[in-house]
Amino acid sequence: MKRFEEIPHTADWSFRAFGGDLCELFENAAHALFALEGAQARRPADETMRLVTVSAIDYPSLLVNWLTELLWLQESHHETYLRFRIERLSPTELCAEAFGAPLTRLDTPTARIKAVTYHNLTIEQTARGWEAVVVVDV
Amino acid sequence: MIAKQNFERISDYVWQVQQNFRGDMRAPARLYASEELLEDALQDESVTQLVNTATLPGIIKYAISMPDIHQGYGFPIGGVVATQAPDGVISPGGVGYDINCGVRLMASHLHAEQVAPKINDLATALYKNCPSGVGSEGSLPLNAKQLDDVLEQGSEWAARNGYARREDLQRTEEYGRMPGADAGAVSKRAKERGRDQLGTLGAGNHFIEVDHVVEVYDIALAERLGLFPEQIVVQIHCGSRGLGHQVCTDYVNDFQRAVREYKIELPDRELVCAPLNSPEGQAYFKAMAASANFAFSNRQILAHHIRRSFEEVLASIVKDFDLFQIYDIAHNMAKVEEHAVDDKRVKVCVHRKGATRAFGPGSAVLPDDLRAIGQPVLIPGSMGTASYVLIGTAKAMTETFGSTCHGAGRVMSRAKAKRQVRGDKLREELGARGIVVRAGSMPGLAEEAPQAYKDVSQVVQVVHRAGIGCRVARLEPLAVIKG
Repeated sequence: MKRFEEIPHTADWSFRAFGGDLCELFENAAHALFALEGAQARRPADETMRLVTVSAIDYPSLLVNWLTELLWLQESHHETYLRFRIERLSPTELCAEAFGAPLTRLDTPTARIKAVTYHNLTIEQTARGWEAVVVVDV
Repeated sequence: MIAKQNFERISDYVWQVQQNFRGDMRAPARLYASEELLEDALQDESVTQLVNTATLPGIIKYAISMPDIHQGYGFPIGGVVATQAPDGVISPGGVGYDINCGVRLMASHLHAEQVAPKINDLATALYKNCPSGVGSEGSLPLNAKQLDDVLEQGSEWAARNGYARREDLQRTEEYGRMPGADAGAVSKRAKERGRDQLGTLGAGNHFIEVDHVVEVYDIALAERLGLFPEQIVVQIHCGSRGLGHQVCTDYVNDFQRAVREYKIELPDRELVCAPLNSPEGQAYFKAMAASANFAFSNRQILAHHIRRSFEEVLASIVKDFDLFQIYDIAHNMAKVEEHAVDDKRVKVCVHRKGATRAFGPGSAVLPDDLRAIGQPVLIPGSMGTASYVLIGTAKAMTETFGSTCHGAGRVMSRAKAKRQVRGDKLREELGARGIVVRAGSMPGLAEEAPQAYKDVSQVVQVVHRAGIGCRVARLEPLAVIKG
């Protein structure tokens, strides 16, 4: 199963993420976020790990808050994230690990994502698993 | 999907979707456009987003979109919605993430031919002195107290600290200081993001441009503003950087609960809102005003660096290298204003998301020297094309809550632009046309290629002919600085 696909958007960026279960969906949405920004693979020796805990009123809000938290970590630590492990997920809380590396000129994005929006935000169960649509402001 | 036949043509440049088009609309939805620009708008979700804004509780008259309308999130870019104050709603998504993104125009006393020999050096100095690009940090890191002062005082803070002249403040919307700002309503995280970003341009569609005045449409108005043919002028386009983005993120998130509490049903969660006079609405307004002050101050610090760059490069060849301010305007803001509705003066909360305030002659909020003619309106075009100076009109006051368009409006996604255009090729093409480019990222430059945007001249022609903005002058670029 592919992790995500880009959806055309006139001014900003949008993607559809896929997952066999909700944990995988949340992990793949995070992959999409950093892939759109142009993150490059790194040597494992450079890897750093950040713990993330977020809460929200429902799964869609939780997805926004998870992605928003990753953007905040990126900006405050000057890192990019390439691997994710959801440790615990309920409709109102998520605990996860994000593995990344310091940002270099290699993956300095052309435009950094300003924010993760609620516009057209969906999380749906399909015959193949789960899908989420996210629009981000750039 | 909304089709052309769902619009009623009100006049040559005004199209309306009636309130009964959808059961959840609380007002009609109006689009200012030529037939061609209407058809452009129907190519993506822009018009659906416009109709969605007509569902906001307390909306007055109609939801409005300008001819530069394009698909955004929640509101379309180019959207204007006025709600009754104080019990109508305020929507953080109706302002957007880049709170008080806006444009400043400064003018010199120089002719283009005087600057031509030094235009390369000037572009280099501007690129060096004005921090730009993703994650750029300013030369002015602030401590906690200084940041709170910037948030509450805006350009007043800049003036007290030697970065602004009193005349600059006179020629800035809200005189560079939004009333009602409260640093206490801005989160710790937003402040952390803003602390080292004052005086930075950022990336994306933000820019500094050295232009020359290529056409004057109204000589008398141009003279009143201080503009003349072939004059060298400078535009700055940027906003509140990470601080504003975080404030919007915080409040869009908080308002997800508020809409449940106030039992507000909406077609899009990005439109979340709360009554302006509710605790949530007031907290957002105070934080938004503080972010707006950060943005006014940000453009002011950049203006200071630009003046320094002009001195650095031009002092050896000309006597007068000074830059004076024509105006500074916001195009992402919600403001409480007084407007005439059904022959009564009423207070309304006007959301302008990718739209510009365009107050006409006689407006009491304008400084003495502008009151007789109206407020200058600055419309930047896409990179390498034209930009316009307009003046607000009486018709804008009666039809659009004193609002007009804000730019060209995108028609092509960033991904498609990067597939179709190479940044280095584009820089060469612009160079061949005599436009010097300094940019930190070639893919970033490609995303902003002129073909990714509508023709700004068509957009401006619509607002001019519709009477919601009066053309004064046309500018074309000589040097472009991008992150």
